[in-house]
Amino acid sequence: MPPLPITNTIRKLRFEHGEMTQQDLAERVGVTRQTINAIELGKYSPSLEVAFRIATVFGVRLEEVFSYDGGGPSPTPSER
Amino acid sequence: MSFREKCAWISFVLVLLVLVGVAAGGHVGIVGFHYFLTLLIGFALLQVMLRLIIAWQAPKDARTPKDEREQLIDLKAARIGFYALVAGVLLSMLAVHFHGNPWSGLHTMVFSILVAWAIKLGAEIVYYRRGR
Repeated sequence: MPPLPITNTIRKLRFEHGEMTQQDLAERVGVTRQTINAIELGKYSPSLEVAFRIATVFGVRLEEVFSYDGGGPSPTPSER
Repeated sequence: MSFREKCAWISFVLVLLVLVGVAAGGHVGIVGFHYFLTLLIGFALLQVMLRLIIAWQAPKDARTPKDEREQLIDLKAARIGFYALVAGVLLSMLAVHFHGNPWSGLHTMVFSILVAWAIKLGAEIVYYRRGR
């Protein structure tokens, strides 16, 4: 399984917000703890809505949480 | 392990047991069909009981609705199961064609449903393990 080109700073942001637990964040965002864990580990790319909700919880801009490291043009549907 | 992954494991193991039961039973005709229905009722009862137990252990998890990742996993697994089911239905048609006996078609169809179901649940477990 190729790694996702989207990285995030959720672990760092949780630490900066008083060691917020994944469960706390999950409840605030409205997803399961396992989903937050999968996002944090880069195994799953969240929808734009969930990404915005995560940024809102931390009170930061979206690009401070997620960044795209894929580079180059986006792949065609057959390459995905 | 999340509540839904545990549910997938429970259903997977139970479907495999029903599958083994159907294969090992060797009943044919209406007796075979009734035997399958009995297994199905046992499967449903056991499934409800085991799910209640794990929901009781983690009530918060059980109450949380499926989120987008879990819905996606469900859809991806269902797609794989669908192809298995279509292949099974085609096999059932062939079974009726070659045996000339509608019961053989019905048995193949029942078997196909169970195999497709097991494949769907197996895919779900793999996706849960992988995280997506």
